[in-house]
Amino acid sequence: MTQPGIRILVVDDEPAIRRALRPPLVELGFQVAEASRGEEALQLLRSSSYDVVLLDINMPGIGGIETLKRIRSFAPRLPVLMLTVRDDEEDKVEALEFGADDYVTKPFSTRELIARIRSAVRRVRAPARPEDAPIEIGEIRLEPAKRLVTRRRIPVKLTRKEFDILYCLMSRAGRVVTYSKLLTAVWGAESREEVEYLRTFVRQLRKKIEDDPSNPLYLLTDVYVGYRFADAQMFLEGSSNDGSPAAEEMPDGEHAQESEDVPEDEHEPPKAVD
Amino acid sequence: MRSGRSHGSGLRVLLFTLECALGVVAVILVAAFTHWWLRLLPVVALLYLLIVVLTALWCGFWQAAVVSLSAVVAQSWFTARQPELAIAANPIASVTLLVFVLVALTVSRLSARVTGHAREAESRGGQMEDLYEFTRRTLQMDLHVEPGPQLAELVHEIFNLEAVAVFDADLHDVYAAGFWNVDPQEMAQNVYYFETADDDPVTGVGRRVVRLGTVPVGSLVVRGDTGPLINNAIASLIAITFDRYRAFANESRIETERRTEQLRATVLDSLAHAYKTPLTAIRAASTGMGEMGHLSAGQADLVGLIDEQTRLLGDLTNRLLTTARLDAGEVAIHVARVSAGTLIEEVVAALKDRLASMKVAIEIEDDDLVLSCDQQLMTMLLTQYIDNACKYSNFGSTVTIRVQVTGAEAIFSVHSIGPVIPMADRERIFDRYYRSSTYADRAPGTGIGLSVARRAAQIHGGYVWVTSDEEEGTTFFAAIPLALEREISL
Repeated sequence: MTQPGIRILVVDDEPAIRRALRPPLVELGFQVAEASRGEEALQLLRSSSYDVVLLDINMPGIGGIETLKRIRSFAPRLPVLMLTVRDDEEDKVEALEFGADDYVTKPFSTRELIARIRSAVRRVRAPARPEDAPIEIGEIRLEPAKRLVTRRRIPVKLTRKEFDILYCLMSRAGRVVTYSKLLTAVWGAESREEVEYLRTFVRQLRKKIEDDPSNPLYLLTDVYVGYRFADAQMFLEGSSNDGSPAAEEMPDGEHAQESEDVPEDEHEPPKAVD
Repeated sequence: MRSGRSHGSGLRVLLFTLECALGVVAVILVAAFTHWWLRLLPVVALLYLLIVVLTALWCGFWQAAVVSLSAVVAQSWFTARQPELAIAANPIASVTLLVFVLVALTVSRLSARVTGHAREAESRGGQMEDLYEFTRRTLQMDLHVEPGPQLAELVHEIFNLEAVAVFDADLHDVYAAGFWNVDPQEMAQNVYYFETADDDPVTGVGRRVVRLGTVPVGSLVVRGDTGPLINNAIASLIAITFDRYRAFANESRIETERRTEQLRATVLDSLAHAYKTPLTAIRAASTGMGEMGHLSAGQADLVGLIDEQTRLLGDLTNRLLTTARLDAGEVAIHVARVSAGTLIEEVVAALKDRLASMKVAIEIEDDDLVLSCDQQLMTMLLTQYIDNACKYSNFGSTVTIRVQVTGAEAIFSVHSIGPVIPMADRERIFDRYYRSSTYADRAPGTGIGLSVARRAAQIHGGYVWVTSDEEEGTTFFAAIPLALEREISL
């Protein structure tokens, strides 16, 4: 599956990583530009236009986070994916708070990276969804206007807070929502530290919407960062493309065997996304 | 030793004789002179008295007594030749003589006492100065080397003693200075073992047990001109110096260990960081190759192998990094309220791949159990335990993860059925780099993980242990206090 017209800017100070990324991206039809510093990336972004930016968080010079802030000052909707390392949880959260669309943890697999890039671009290109349009992802359908959630067309009984959490996550499906963002959205700014509170609710929610709550398919945890609702795309594409759809959302992208488990029939094509 | 003492007393006798002889000669001279020149006769008694007092002042009472008696004898002898002055014939002369003797003795007694006091004060002052000097020198002593030899030399030199022996019980060594004609080793050790403390005025030997508080830490034997009080003081100063040496040695050992640990951690840390970039490039390249397609089955297989091994290397690097930071005390602790259930669920979710071939049972006694802990550290601990259970359990067996409350502690346990851990290994498997000989070639690993688990528990004020036998299987435990009573610190 090629991606005609997607222009991607790779910003990383390590030439080896840029070299490893270029061939597969070009092969898959991306137009690739490179920058080794944040300053250089900002110059390129001002002179030409791109569809997505891959931005390393640890770089000499102004660094990833500062570059992100400056990008956001003139391009609020440009998808930016951060390249991070494992133990930089605080940096990840900070980047997300400053408007990064997503992050990938080094060492990442190219498949996972490409899936994230596609999903970020898709979101931006998708027409704006009305506030109370129903959202359907996999077997879960949420109707904001009626405050109704169904699973396999059977209504799921949710408390008010559970519904709010689910709505917050499903309306941003495919993207990680940080703990504090979620807490602020549901309980208000004064509760943004009460992560344990949130966990209890998520546990209850999983019991209601997941087949196997300890092995969730929809309501995924980004350890130390937040929660993310599975991308509708992974249920849509099912067996249709080159890889495993489930792998898209797994932190390591090594879960090809699980693609078989993804139910791909028995439900209507989602209308909410794309 | 004895010959030394008799040598000294012989000298003293000689000196005494010489002083007496001088006084007697002076008396005889005065008597003879008076005999020839009779006009001196009325003041002769005063002249004698002068000699006696001077002798008493310079030499001592007994010398003065001898001189005054000699004066009586000399006077009697010379006057016996002059009948008009004979004692027997002249009662006044007898009375004068008697009074003279009494006055002479009294005056000598008094002046000798004054001189004695002065000397004593002088010698005490000297001893105080010596003690002061000794204190000063011990304080300035180089504590990088054992203190015994320096102490023995100092005592010998400062107090001007004939011989000194110091026994350091901790190092079990005797240090001697000066000349001993018996074996100072045995002598000093006997003082320590039999706890004998005494002063022998005949031989001039003082023995002291060197104590710190009530604990004997060594002994001191001296021979020479000191007093019991001075010996006590020396023994105390030696004890203090021993103590300072131990404290100093301990402190420098700890400091050295800390520095080594820090250096090691820094090296590990920078190594792990340096590995990250090449690892990322390799993984991106190998998975990129897979994404580009056009690979034959064999090529795809090899690319998959590269990817898999890179991930292994990545995991190892991460683990090294965490250990290094834990050891260097660089892990920032974030205490938060976390429910035990969440902890276990998240760890199990993260280990989903590895647990794929196992049955997992989670038993949470109290679903509302909430701990004050650092989630990252606790996750590390549980990950390690579960990972360990996966590696070493029999294929297809059940791994049971349990948490229960006992007293003021939450006990996490991970149970699996697998080879028994030998008794001798049960404590050591928590040591860094230790790998049980039974397992070393059975499963991949670095011998780091369980030490991380123990460190994580310790940081929370908890502890870890393991039980293992053929029938019950192997269970790793971690007890974590429910409420952190003290400040968490590394």
